[in-house]
Parts: sequence; C-alpha cells; structure tokens
Amino acid sequence: MSDAVVENIKMKVVANQLPEDSEKIHSMAESPLHHVDLASLAKQGLQEGGVHFCEKPLMGLLTLRCHPSAKQKTAIKSLLGVALPMEPLTSATKGDVTVRWISPDEWLITLSGDKAFDLESRFQDKLEGHYSLVNISGGTTVFELSGKDAMNVLKKSTTIDFHSKVFPTDKVVSTLFAKSSAIIRRLDEQRFELVVRRSFSDYIWLWIQDASKEYGLVVDA
Amino acid sequence: MTQQNRLVSGGRIDRSETLTFTYNGKKYQGHKGDTLASAMLANGIDVVARSFKYSRPRGIIASGAEEPNAVLQLGATEATQVPNVRATQQELFDGLVSASTNGWPSVDTDVMSLVGKVGGKMMPPGFYYKTFMFPESLWDTYESMIRKAAGIGRAPKEHDPDTYDAINQHCDVMVVGAGPAGLVAALTAARGGARVIIADEQNEFGGSLLDSSEQLDGKPASEWIRSIVEELSTFDDVLLLPRSTVNGYHDHNFLTIHERCSDHLADIAPVNSVRQRMHRVRAKWVVLATGAHERPLVYANNDVPGCMISGAVSAYINRYGVVPGNELVVMTTNDYGYQAAIDWANAGRTVAAIVDTRTESKGDRAETARQLGLNIITGSAVIDVQGSKRVTGVSIAPLDESGTKVTGSITKLKVDTVATSGGWSPVVHLSCHTGSRPVWDDSVVGFLPGPTIQKQLTAGGINGQYETSVALQEGLDAGLQALTNIGLEAVELVLPRVEQLTMTAPMILFHIPHIKPTSQAPKQFVDYQTDVTAAGIEIACREGFEAIEHVKRYTAMGFGTDQGKLGNINGMAVAAKALNKTIPETGTTVFRPNYTPIAFGAITGRHCGGLFEPERYTAMHKWHVEQGALFEDVGQWKRPWYYPKGNETMQDTLNRECLAVRDSVGILDASTLGKIDIQGKDAREFLGRVYTNAWAKLGVGKCRYGLMAGEDGMIFDDGVTACLAENHFLMTTTTGGAAHVLEWLEIYHQTEWPELEVYFTSVTDHWSTMTISGPNSRKLLEKLTDYDVSKENFAFMDWKAATVAGVPARVFRISFTGELSFEINVQANYGMQVWNAVIEAGKEFNITPYGTETMHVLRAEKGFIIVGQDTDGSVHAYDLGMPWAVSMQKPFSFIGKRGMQREDCVRPDRKQLVGLKTIDPNVVLPEGSQGVFDPKAPIPMPLVGHITSSYWSANLNRSIAMGFVKGGLDKMGEKVFYPLADGRVIEAEICSPVFLDPKGERQHV
Repeated sequence: MSDAVVENIKMKVVANQLPEDSEKIHSMAESPLHHVDLASLAKQGLQEGGVHFCEKPLMGLLTLRCHPSAKQKTAIKSLLGVALPMEPLTSATKGDVTVRWISPDEWLITLSGDKAFDLESRFQDKLEGHYSLVNISGGTTVFELSGKDAMNVLKKSTTIDFHSKVFPTDKVVSTLFAKSSAIIRRLDEQRFELVVRRSFSDYIWLWIQDASKEYGLVVDA
Repeated sequence: MTQQNRLVSGGRIDRSETLTFTYNGKKYQGHKGDTLASAMLANGIDVVARSFKYSRPRGIIASGAEEPNAVLQLGATEATQVPNVRATQQELFDGLVSASTNGWPSVDTDVMSLVGKVGGKMMPPGFYYKTFMFPESLWDTYESMIRKAAGIGRAPKEHDPDTYDAINQHCDVMVVGAGPAGLVAALTAARGGARVIIADEQNEFGGSLLDSSEQLDGKPASEWIRSIVEELSTFDDVLLLPRSTVNGYHDHNFLTIHERCSDHLADIAPVNSVRQRMHRVRAKWVVLATGAHERPLVYANNDVPGCMISGAVSAYINRYGVVPGNELVVMTTNDYGYQAAIDWANAGRTVAAIVDTRTESKGDRAETARQLGLNIITGSAVIDVQGSKRVTGVSIAPLDESGTKVTGSITKLKVDTVATSGGWSPVVHLSCHTGSRPVWDDSVVGFLPGPTIQKQLTAGGINGQYETSVALQEGLDAGLQALTNIGLEAVELVLPRVEQLTMTAPMILFHIPHIKPTSQAPKQFVDYQTDVTAAGIEIACREGFEAIEHVKRYTAMGFGTDQGKLGNINGMAVAAKALNKTIPETGTTVFRPNYTPIAFGAITGRHCGGLFEPERYTAMHKWHVEQGALFEDVGQWKRPWYYPKGNETMQDTLNRECLAVRDSVGILDASTLGKIDIQGKDAREFLGRVYTNAWAKLGVGKCRYGLMAGEDGMIFDDGVTACLAENHFLMTTTTGGAAHVLEWLEIYHQTEWPELEVYFTSVTDHWSTMTISGPNSRKLLEKLTDYDVSKENFAFMDWKAATVAGVPARVFRISFTGELSFEINVQANYGMQVWNAVIEAGKEFNITPYGTETMHVLRAEKGFIIVGQDTDGSVHAYDLGMPWAVSMQKPFSFIGKRGMQREDCVRPDRKQLVGLKTIDPNVVLPEGSQGVFDPKAPIPMPLVGHITSSYWSANLNRSIAMGFVKGGLDKMGEKVFYPLADGRVIEAEICSPVFLDPKGERQHV
C-alpha cells in the first residue's frame, strides 16, 4: 500500500459488472434458465392450462442492508424514488423499481438490469452512514407464476397462506420453497413473482413443472 | 357367478354399471358404488384372511375403517402392489385385482391351520416377551418363521408409477367427518363467512345417514345430504374433501389428511393425475365430528366368518343392497342392535332370533321388531358359535342379571350370520393424538374426548350422542361456537325434523360368559387382527400385568394396523373384570397417528426421484456435461469430478489432468466456493475476531488465507478473504460450509458484537469463478485482458479489477495447486461466455479442464488441507501444523482462542497432521487406514492416527498421503505401520506434508 494516502482510500468498491460494449450486455448474458430454452418450450408446449410460467431474465437485483436513520430514509427515498417499506412483509413499487422488505435490516431492490450500476453509484455518492448495497444480479433470477391454479402450485411448495385476505397484492415473503427458497410477492389475484437463487433455479423449474402437471403448464416466452 | 346376496333394489349402488374384479385369482362382479367388501359379500365370499397366530379363517366383520380382517393386497401388476388395504374402504373399480395376504397356499386351504392350532398352544400371550426375547440369538429364526407364516402384505418390488402430492392448507374451521353433525357444523361456519375444510374418509358425504333408512324432514336422508353438499360447494372458501382420512391431529391445530384422489378409478392414476394427496392443514378451530364405532360382543368362536357387528349388517343392506347371509341371529345389549334384524327382515330374509341380554326393551325399535313378528329372546346371550369357514349355528343360553354367569340350558339355532352390538365407542382417536387422555363415561359406556389445550370442538357420536337429532343440534352448536371463537357473526340455520325414537337403557356388558371358565371355553376373540383372546388377557392379568398399557404389550392387543378399533375397549373390560376393577381404574387407552395406514408415497409426496434433493448448478454446468464430466456431490452442488476421455480409467484421467496443470495450464470451475460480501467500518475488526489469524494489516488489493474455529478451538472452515476496499471485504468459504459460515457470522454479529458496524451478504451465486492454474496461466490471461498481469504489477496474493474477455472481472492471484494461478470472477450471467473464451484462448496451451479429484491430488502434493477431509471437528490449527495461521497477539480475543489453549489441546502427544510416504512408492494407502507404531503389538493394538488423504501422484511418480500421527510433528523420518483388513501391513515414513516445491518457487513466478 505504498500509494495509500488516507484521504484517497476507497471505502467500498462499486464497479460496473456488465460489459462496456452495450451490445454485449445482452448478447453475452445467460440467465440461470438459459439452458432450458424457454422460448422454444413456449412454442412447442401447451398453449392453455391452469398455470403459466415465465422467467424475467437479467434483471438488476440489489440487496440493501441498513438500520436506516431518519436522514438515511430520506436519502434512500430520493435515490429509489420510493420510500423503504418499513412494515414487515410488504413491498413498494415506483416505475420499474420495486423494494421488498426482507428482514428488519434488509431489503431487496429490483430494477432493469442495465440500471443497477447506476443506482449503486448514486448510493455510493449520496448515502452516508453505515449500510451495504450489494449487487446480486448474477446470482438471482425472477420467475412469474400465474393462472387460476398458480396458487395451488405455491401451496404445494410452501407453507404460506396465500388467501387474498391474508396475502394481498404486493405482500412479500421469503420462505422455504420445496427444498430450496424463494422470495414470493403477489402481483395480483392470480399472479405471483418468485425471486430465486441461480444455483437452485433449475431445481425449482423442475419442481414447478412437476407440481403443475395436473393443471397443465403453459410456458410464456 | 351371480351375486347371490345382492338385493334387486335399494342401496346407493348403480346396478346398470357392472364392474369385474379379481379376488385370489377368481373373477367376480360388483357394481359402481360398491366397496370391495360389499362386492365380496354380494358374491358370498366368506373367508378373506387367516388369522395371525392361530391361522383361523376370518371373514368381513365391519363396513368401515374399523375392519380388522379384510386387509387385502391390491394391484394388477408388480409395480402397483399396495398392501394393507381395508376392503371395507376400497371402492370397487373395473379390473381391480385383490388377494388375501395370509394363508398359504390359500385362505381356504391353509396348510398352517393344522400347525396353527398346535402353534397356538406354543404361542401363549407374552409371545414377544417370553419366547422371542430369549434367547436373543434365535430372534432372526423366529422372526422369519413368523413373517412367513402370517404375512400381512408386501411392498412392490418395482418402481411405483404413480405421482403423490402434498399441499398446505389454511382454514378457520376444519371439520373432521361429514356425517349429520359435521355437515351442519361446516354449513354453519360457511354461512358465517369462515374458511372451512370438511373431510370425510368415505367416497360420499353423509356418514351414518348413508347406512340407515332414516328420514329427514320426511324425506330420505340422501336428499338432505345432497342439499347441504350443494350449498357448501357454492362457497369459494369451503374445501370439500371426500375420500380423505384425517389421519393425524398434531400440536397447534396442525392436521394431516390423506386424500385418495384416484384409488377408486383404476390400478394406476390417469395421465398427469395425482394418485394420493397429503393435505397439511393449519386450522384456527377444529370440529371433531368423527362419530362412533360399534363394539362387537366377545363370545366363544366369535371370529367364525359370518359373525359381524350389527351396524355393518344394516350398512351392507341399506347402502349396498347386499344381505350378507340367509339366516340371522342378533345379539344385543341395547336398542340399536334391533335395527339389523329389522333391516334383514325387510330385505326378505330370515331372522332366527334377536337375543337381548337385557330383561326387556320397551324402545321403539324393539316395538318395530315385535310388529314384524320377530322372535325376541330376552335375558339371554349367544354364548358359542358353530362352524369353521362359515357360521352354521349358535348356542343361546340365559344369563344372570349382571351378565356374568350362564344360568340355564342351551338352545341351539341354525343360522349363518351372527350380528352383535355391545354399544358404541366414540371415535376419540384424533382427540388423543395431541396427548389428551380420553375420559370414561358410565352413561355413554365408552371413552369421551378428554380435556385438551387444542382449539377443538366436538359434536355428535364422538360425544356419545348417537341419535341423529342430537348430532344435528351438536353440529349446529359447534359451528356457531367456532364462528364466535374466530370473531364472526352467528347465522340462522334451521335443522331438519327427525323422528325421535324412544330407547331403553343399554346393559353394560362386553364379555359374554360361557358355561366353561374363560380359560377352558372355546376362544373368545377380543382383538381379531392380533389374535388376542379374553383368556389371553386374563393370563396377562394373572401374571401381574395390571396396567392396561402392560397388558397391551404383553398380549399385543391393539398393535395391529387397525389399532384395535373394535377390540380395545372390550379388552380393557376383560382386564378390569379379571382385576376386579372398573374400566377407568384399569387405565385409559390412547391412540397415535395415523388413524389408518398411509402409503409411503403419500408421505414422500414429490420429494423423490430427481426431486429428492435439489441439485445446484454453476453457470458452466452444461459445458461440463457436454465434456463428459463425471460429477461429485459437494453439499447440494454438482461439481465436475473428472473429465474422462476415450477409454481412460479414472486414474488415467487424473494422471493426465494432474500433469497438464503442472506442465502447461488447467482450468477448474470454482464457482461453488462460498462467497460473502462484508461491508462496514468494523469489517476488518470482525474478521479478526472470527478468524484465528490477523487481519489488521491486510492492505487494500491484498488477499489472505484464514482459518475459522469454533468456540472449542477446532477448525470448521477456511478460505481466502480479499480486502476490496478499506471497509469492504470478500470472504470465500468451503463449498459445503458456505451457508453455515454466513449463519455463524450473523449469529456472532447479532448476539455478541451488535456494536460492530458490519453487514454480510451472500454473493456465492452472483460470481462465476474459473481458476486457471499452471506455468502457462499468465500467458493465457494476457491473451484475454489488456491489463498488465506481469509479475511486477500483479503479485502473488493480490487481486485486481480487470476486463477479461470483454467482461469486467475480479481476478485473484491465489493458488490451491502451488502453481502460478489466477481466479477469474465474473458476474454469473457472463460466466459461460467468459469460460468459453478462456477455453478458446487456451487451446494453444492445450488447456485441460480438471475436476475436484485432480484438485485434491494437486493440493495434497503441496500439503494444503481440505477442511472436512483432513479435519473432523476435533483438530485445531496446531494439530494441523499451521501455527502461522494463529495470532495470539490480537488486541481483541478471537473465537477459539481460549478453546485451543485448554489442557487437553496442548498435550504434546496429540494426533498431528503429517505427510506419509509409503516405503513401497507404488502402494497407495487406503484413506481411513489406522496406523500403529508397533505392528507386532498384541491386539487391541494402540492406534496412533488415521490416513486422511491419499493419492497416486503422477507428478511425483509415487504415492503420497496425509494423516494424523500421535506426536507426529516431532517424529519426522520415523515409521508408522498400517495393518489392513486384507492382512497386508503397509509401512510408511513420516515426512513433511509438502511433497512438491517446498520453497514455493512455482507459484512465485
């Protein structure tokens, strides 16, 4: 550390993790279910059924950990465009940014994949105090389950009560999903979003296919 | 064969649909709506089993879950074999194949029956405890003999082709049982807006109403049932579950329901359908409306086929249009028993007599019987039965008023069917599952649900209320109470009118006396499935087994798959009489889940086959598969193990991969290593407390290896941590330890050091990691990046941000092989593309992918440990010869510091990790071999430590090993001997575990 001068020391590393060549950002990327070739399955498979499935690939996902002070809350609201949901198991959305309450000091932020670095940089510049914001875009993917039997598939996979009286739209849970885990958010009466880890995504996809079989599974490209 | 016992009309069967089924190889016919049992009775099949101990012929006794005898094997093919199916609960379908499970060569001609009669003498009660427990060495012999002689079904030998499912449910009110009480409770709750689940084990709702000819509102009960079910099905928040047995009632109102979705359709479920489904229900309130089971009376030879419970006789006539015989005698202690005779007479067959143990009955049913002109014999009992494969007659004799003595001469009657009613036993099983003991009630003559801490209500038969009108009222009350309890408004519900029948009190009688004392009388069966007799229970009591739980274990009463549903109360009564106590003084009987047997498939659900355990894949997994890699399970990860080419043996492959890395360059997918992003101003301090070594001076841009110990000082993880920025670190962990390490950090942060400002986030899946290792790795990296990766600019144990193959990467110059190595980390969505680019660029260096096995060999050549292989939770850093990785000078203590300084941990003769070279270089020591210093020492030889890692090293052209040796670090050059199971003794010399390049010149280039 011969070149280290105290005031020049970087406190945290924030770096773009996507190729600089904007064409390569998508042409080179493989989402966790890339190998499944959902586009072909969508064409070849059932066109009607009780359960619909799709992957929302290559989104930007960031884990925010913080015990926000009033000042931090204000700063975060202006950075995200939406206030941090402080109520457990809730979420807040503004534009393409959604923030999910995960635990008393953890939130999951999603936004379009190419905007993640920009948000990280702005946090680095604007948010003071103790917090951590970590890009987990490569390690995570987003599935959507919908249709009249989507809830049945969730009931087979988790112990959560999804009745709309207790699990309204925008509610979020992090829970055991089969033998893996998922962060589940209700998008509307029959639509649910699952945020899952890359390495488990193939297992969860296999599970969903199996659990949906009796209802008919439609893959949406 | 015609169905000689089938009535021309009546019942809830569809005579227009004829179904063919097979029983013991013979074809028979039945109708849609039949159970297998009703179809068997329609065809006049008398013998359905041979008994467990005495090999006596047995027939169908009951019509529901309580049936002890008709437990059959189902399945048309090997793969679809199902044992333990109660014929009384199996709906008939076309093509059903069934067989009796005991009796060889067949239930009708059982060669065991002669032996059995002798065997019975050889097997008095206490069979298990006396005979089989001593001598212990003969248990295997006894067991196989018993199993063969009294098989109770078998598992399929082939893979089950069906799908089983499990689903979680939540509701406000869970109603168990859809008889009159349950239906009204469910409808009341539903009308009040509650979320309701109602489950019943039968194929249609209605419970006892299905078996009777009762009228509700002046109309057949079936019409009332239909209207209730129709209304229930209009509610979105009501789930109706027919064919669903609530098998378990667990703590916190958690219930398990076994739904048979397609068992009634065919041998195999229809395409894409589920065969059985387990509902796992969390209910706010539970209404138990489980009804009651009729108790048979205990009398001599009461197991001869043709002896049944009277309610079952009514059920077969009214529900299935089957009269299971020609001439009937009824024996009863109560008014309900008369109903079987009334139904039998109305079906047009002969009722020889109704034998009432009471002196008289003035009830309405008795009056009806008198009006039908039936022969009623009071103050008497059927004391004995004639016949072997079917009842041929009975002996009737008068009893004294207490029912304990025969007081007069015997009258014989020629009959083929005996129906008995000893009253009803409330089905308290579920209420017992949560630990509540049932309470005896003299007025009910049975056990009622005991006090419970569950949110539980009861209604109808379970409360000893057997009249339909009372059951309906109790159902309404339970429904209203449930609504109140969950804070919903009560609703209006008008109950149907039901005729109120007058009754004469029942007599409390269980065991019918014989002219001979019980011990000499013909066998009086209490528990049919385990062949327990009244005499057997008396012997148990005489031998001093006074508590009912001991009597049960001594005799095996209630140990069958029917859990003694028919026999337990009678058995307690017999024991009470023998001990001269009351039934409650004798004890209570409790029941455990499951209420009826469940297929293993339904318990397993979808967690089988490919979904048994998650398989975790890296972003490059498909490539490994395409290259023909074999995989090793590391935690849940599938890691490439080695990549065989052509006809290579595993050793050939390892040799090739090992040489390639040290000669040129190899590539390893290291993505599975745990990675934890650590941020905060106290991150560095935190690292110092959880690792044994020092972190205060690790500069930005540098990496350091760390050892992690538990409180006891023992190593449980290791890995390299990089300082990304002053307040920002990246920790790597072992593949299998990642989740535990993250949890460990969180626990210590949250409970011990919450004042430290630090956050942890798992980034294991976010980064794809590829390690290029070997003398050509720098040349390869130079082709892929513009960054200066020269020795001068990129030193060993540095990390750099560089663009590799067009993708921003973090490159770590660290090495687990001892070679010049670079770990390239890229965002995982780009992992595959970058890997491909590295492989392409590496072609000119003959880049060789290598797996975990080669990695293990290469690191062992350098003496690097693998936590979990070279450690087992009982070794600290000093045992491993790694004192350099412990800093005792840190200002704050660290986890394990105190632990590793305990007296036992500083003994000089602790087992220490050393290298071992076999004297014969071609011999590879088996891992796990135990060493001794003196191979001639007498057995038991003092063992001095075991081999933890052992390989053939192609680079060294000899075997190498690592292992523990007592005091080994001070014994360099000394010999250790490894006596093997095959008789060989392998001699090895203790050496440094660094077998190759001890000065580290290869990695510092």
